[in-house]
Amino acid sequence: MDQTTSSTCETRAAEAPSAPVPTGRAHWRSVEELQQTPEFRSFLDREFPEGASEASEEDRRQFIKVMGASFALAGVASSGCLRWPETKIVPAARGQENRVAGHPVSFATCLQVDGVAVPAMATSYEGRPIKLDGNERHPSASGGSSAMTQARILELYDPDRIRSTTQKGAPSSLPEFDGWWSTHANALRAKQGEGLAILSEAIGGDVHARALELVTKAFPKARLYVHAPAGQSAEQAGTAIAFGAAKRVLPDFGKAKVVVSFGSDFLADHPASVRFAGDYAKGRRLDSTDPKQQQITRLYSIESRLSLTGMNADERIAVKPSQVQAIAAMVADRLGAVPGCATAADAKLDEQATKVVDALLKDLKDAGPRALVVAGPTQPAAVHAIACAINQKLGGAGTTVTYIPAPAAAPGIVEFARDAASIDTLVVLGGNPAYDAPASLGVAALIAKIPNVVRLAYRNDESSVACGHGWVIAAAHPLECWGDGASWDGTLSIQQPLILPMMGAEAGGLSAVELLLRVAGHEPRTAYDFTRQVYARKSGLAGADFEVAWRAALSEGWWPGTNAKSQSALAVDAAKVAAAPVSAAGDVELSLFFDSKVHDGRFANLGWMQELPDVVTKITWDNALLMSPSMATSMGLKAASMVRVKTAGGSVVAAVWVLPGHAEGCVSLALGYGRGAPAGRLAEGCGFDGYAVMVPGAFSSACELTKESGTYEFAHTQDHGAINPFDATVSALKPNVPADGVAERLGGLVREATLGEYRDHPDFAKHRVHVVHRLSLWEETNLDGAKFRWAMSVDLGTCTGCSACVTACQAENNIPIVGKAMVKRGREMHWMRIDRYFKGPQGSPTGFAVQPVTCMQCENAPCEQVCPVAATVHDEDGLNSMVYNRCIGTRYCSNNCPYKVRRFNFFNYHKRTPDRQEGILKTQPEYYISEGPDRWLQLQFNPDVTVRIRGVMEKCTFCVQRINRARIEAKNEWARKGGSAGSPDWKVADGAIVTACQQACPSGAIVFGDLNDPNSKVSRLHRQPTSYQMLEELNTKTRLRYVARVTNPAIERPSADGGHGHGTHGHDAHDKEHS
Amino acid sequence: MSRFLFPRWSNAVLPLVAVGGAIAPLYIVFLIAYAWSPKTIEVGYKPTQPVPYSHALHVGQLGLDCRYCHTTVDRAAHASVPATQTCMNCHTQVQKDSPKLKPVRESYASGLSVLWTRVHDLPDYSYFDHSAHVNRGVSCVECHGRVDQMEVVQKAAPMSMGWCLECHRNPTDNLRPLDRITQLSWDQRTEMTAEEREALKKLYHISPSENCSTCHR
Repeated sequence: MDQTTSSTCETRAAEAPSAPVPTGRAHWRSVEELQQTPEFRSFLDREFPEGASEASEEDRRQFIKVMGASFALAGVASSGCLRWPETKIVPAARGQENRVAGHPVSFATCLQVDGVAVPAMATSYEGRPIKLDGNERHPSASGGSSAMTQARILELYDPDRIRSTTQKGAPSSLPEFDGWWSTHANALRAKQGEGLAILSEAIGGDVHARALELVTKAFPKARLYVHAPAGQSAEQAGTAIAFGAAKRVLPDFGKAKVVVSFGSDFLADHPASVRFAGDYAKGRRLDSTDPKQQQITRLYSIESRLSLTGMNADERIAVKPSQVQAIAAMVADRLGAVPGCATAADAKLDEQATKVVDALLKDLKDAGPRALVVAGPTQPAAVHAIACAINQKLGGAGTTVTYIPAPAAAPGIVEFARDAASIDTLVVLGGNPAYDAPASLGVAALIAKIPNVVRLAYRNDESSVACGHGWVIAAAHPLECWGDGASWDGTLSIQQPLILPMMGAEAGGLSAVELLLRVAGHEPRTAYDFTRQVYARKSGLAGADFEVAWRAALSEGWWPGTNAKSQSALAVDAAKVAAAPVSAAGDVELSLFFDSKVHDGRFANLGWMQELPDVVTKITWDNALLMSPSMATSMGLKAASMVRVKTAGGSVVAAVWVLPGHAEGCVSLALGYGRGAPAGRLAEGCGFDGYAVMVPGAFSSACELTKESGTYEFAHTQDHGAINPFDATVSALKPNVPADGVAERLGGLVREATLGEYRDHPDFAKHRVHVVHRLSLWEETNLDGAKFRWAMSVDLGTCTGCSACVTACQAENNIPIVGKAMVKRGREMHWMRIDRYFKGPQGSPTGFAVQPVTCMQCENAPCEQVCPVAATVHDEDGLNSMVYNRCIGTRYCSNNCPYKVRRFNFFNYHKRTPDRQEGILKTQPEYYISEGPDRWLQLQFNPDVTVRIRGVMEKCTFCVQRINRARIEAKNEWARKGGSAGSPDWKVADGAIVTACQQACPSGAIVFGDLNDPNSKVSRLHRQPTSYQMLEELNTKTRLRYVARVTNPAIERPSADGGHGHGTHGHDAHDKEHS
Repeated sequence: MSRFLFPRWSNAVLPLVAVGGAIAPLYIVFLIAYAWSPKTIEVGYKPTQPVPYSHALHVGQLGLDCRYCHTTVDRAAHASVPATQTCMNCHTQVQKDSPKLKPVRESYASGLSVLWTRVHDLPDYSYFDHSAHVNRGVSCVECHGRVDQMEVVQKAAPMSMGWCLECHRNPTDNLRPLDRITQLSWDQRTEMTAEEREALKKLYHISPSENCSTCHR
């Protein structure tokens, strides 16, 4: 960075409401940290913030009364019964082939989002599905899964699911519906289906397509509308402009050397983001044996809000939504891909942005066919068209990107609103159009006017309420019904159920296909028979041949040879691209985007998703109106101030969240929040409704902001678990120790270098700390002669911060949600957290970093030294085990943990309702464990992990249940073959143990294994020169080590990490350590 | 004025009261320790089952192997209680009209399970794995006793943590060759020498773990 640019940054920082970055701190967690607010200090200095250790804010007297009553009851209980209650063993009446009691079984299936199938492996325990993971054997998958996929298991057991079929709000049943429909259908048939319309969410797959065909055959004049708020309509329109026909874009991030993203959050917000993240990680992993030869992908991001992809970008330009299109046009123009692009002249770039664009142009030209330009689903069609044109121009088509024909498009919600008056009978298949369409269309009111309505619904949501005057039929979960789906590359995947519909066959539990078959009057009408029929027809197989193919498809999860033929040699109509419509600009612009957790709102009632800190903002249970610090200052706003946003679509009052890195002159709001009671008991009242201000057909628009009175309360975790390796107060107390000097010697928690620095100093990460003492204060645990030394490696270079691991851990380890009020007090129970850091000045951060933090499994664990009851102790393999049944809840261990990874059950969270009210004694109705279908949530529990009760400390165990299973199986195998008479010793193969977080990670950033095996993947990673230990200076000897991050910026900036050179205090004893 | 006075004989009672007062706490501690010990309350637990299935008859007299019914004992954590179908393998031929077998026949016809009462119920925070024991030379009899002599199954051992650890700390005497795992009447303590048992320990690399994480997770 030269003098002029640095002064720009400084000016911006000076405009911001706070002091500049403290010297020596490269990374900062939040604006609060920069300002050193009391709230931040409280999270930093104490294990739990002030007041969090007290049980409640309730009246103490009432508390004592409750306690007294509990003791009295305890007395009665202990004298009354000595043995615990009698339990029953319930064996099956008939045996099942290959079934082993208590062994979880995995089945390949798929789940659809926005009409695209996400291949999945569902784990079933004794007939109940308990976990969802990615299907690595699927050709469109690369392993791993997303937080949303993980959380969809909770969707199955949602206590707010519709459990019955109703007509006009009165209980009814499926047979009654069939009776009504057969008379009604006769009348419709007479009119050839005139007046019949189907309003469907996007559903892919041949089975659904065939069912629709049958409906059109029975009712030729029936109309179909598809409403997918997060669909691919912009991409289809854009490719149609560029190529003359709608295509689906299949980027291959693994082959790209330079990736340019125009408002695309491909790492988080895309139906194939798991695959993309895996491919992208391939190009970012340090693999070269010679660091001098190391190459990594360079990612440019031009966006308005700060997205996960933007956080991972090497160079980033934050501009207004309309400017994203202008810059894309300018790039296309300058590359000669789209000469004379209409908006090219509108691009307004500041000095820094000009440099980035220049570098971007040069990189794109140099990379040629290894360059890849992508556009995001919330971008207008023109940007997609421009991206296609650039890729074709550079020759990337066929290498970094291919195309397949897009699925046939149907009229959308705007057309439905136009035609609604002429509809007499409406079938609403899934989705939630009354909520997730632009509010200005008034879909709910339109539906309410249609005389005959049939609604297939999962919840009693806004659309079900709007359809209350007709039939509301309970929908099945994807794990409850047969079907299929097409993944992003077009491969057909079989959707295989694991359980019968939870509400019983008479009550409902239909899939969209099954309802369509009933509507069409087709036989067979069970989805299983119909799916087989469709595939028999499709494959042309019959009898035993079909049976073999069918079973293979079920086992693998996909039907071979069904992926669409990819195309790349397509001609671009540059004139059409140049003339593509320009998105509306405004003084202040609003950009709407799909939330990383609740998506378009459909996952809003999943507790895991609500409580998962947002990948960027770290807000839980809410969304917020995001804006940059300087915009907030100029408007006199602070975090949590209320603001009215007004657009052509409507207006909404939302709370502000100040997000460094957000573009100036615009605000962003995540969709999917701000709902009332129909959303479900957890989603009710969370956040602010973006659909209220959505302009039909666009995700960004001009808007007006007006300040409103009042403030909002956010529960965010950005300062939770704050660790300060260098505390400013230390230098204040000891003025003779120069702060810069201390800071220089104490390493950052996140260590990173640019590719250039890495090539010169591959061991840069080792030189960031000065390890003063190697002597322990206490007797170290003797781990000599251990058979295994379990360890983990987390690669910060490929970790994107997507939080799939956090949710996977929650699913695997029975981790409860605690509710917004508890999160505010820092009591969230996630065993794993993703720390997010900003870098550089507050106004315009120059970089971002994420770091997953979980129990480090210290060999020299501080927590063990202070436990008075030895509830946390070392096992022989070096695991720092947590013994729940011994724990008495002193919380000393947590106080002594420098990594702040221990979690305490202040309450019986599995029994509490995690609602948004304050006060611990108001716990009715019980959310997790009570009688009736509310007990459903219990069915998700993993039986291999203890469900912890109140008063117990817990933390990451490295998935000890998986370790034990693999160990026992390996030794059984060995013993059966004759023990040491057969082979000298037993071992567990590298890779046989996969922790839940590792399994979920789409980037393969987490690796687990045995350090005693020098050839294991984890051993090799620990030996890498970039491997480092967090807070190494504390001599904790962690088993979890990080691989330092190497970034690939295009523009030189002075290193903010305090240099990478071999300073006088530079070396730690890493050479010794790994000898 | 007539003040209340203790009678003279009460002087003799005083030492007895003192002694009693000193012993009482010890007695209470002993009583609680004895009455609440798993040995007292767990061993001999013998619930009535819906079907009066006799292990003494099936195993002891007819010589069925444990694994004929408990099929997954050497493959999984659970030994597993057999499906009704397993009973009906024989009882469609043998004793097919016995009134004692009515619940079994009903279950087979209806497809609904027979609800057996659990005899060995470990706390939910302990994870025991059958396969890890029977594949290492620890016989069924070491924990479950002479099931082949039981008319009604009862709990033979306290199955407390202390009892588990006794063997984990000193396993040698409880080891036998794998081919005799289900021979309940065979006793390695009399049939094998200490050296032979020691050799088995070496053969299977038996070093039972005393780590908390082995059973608690």
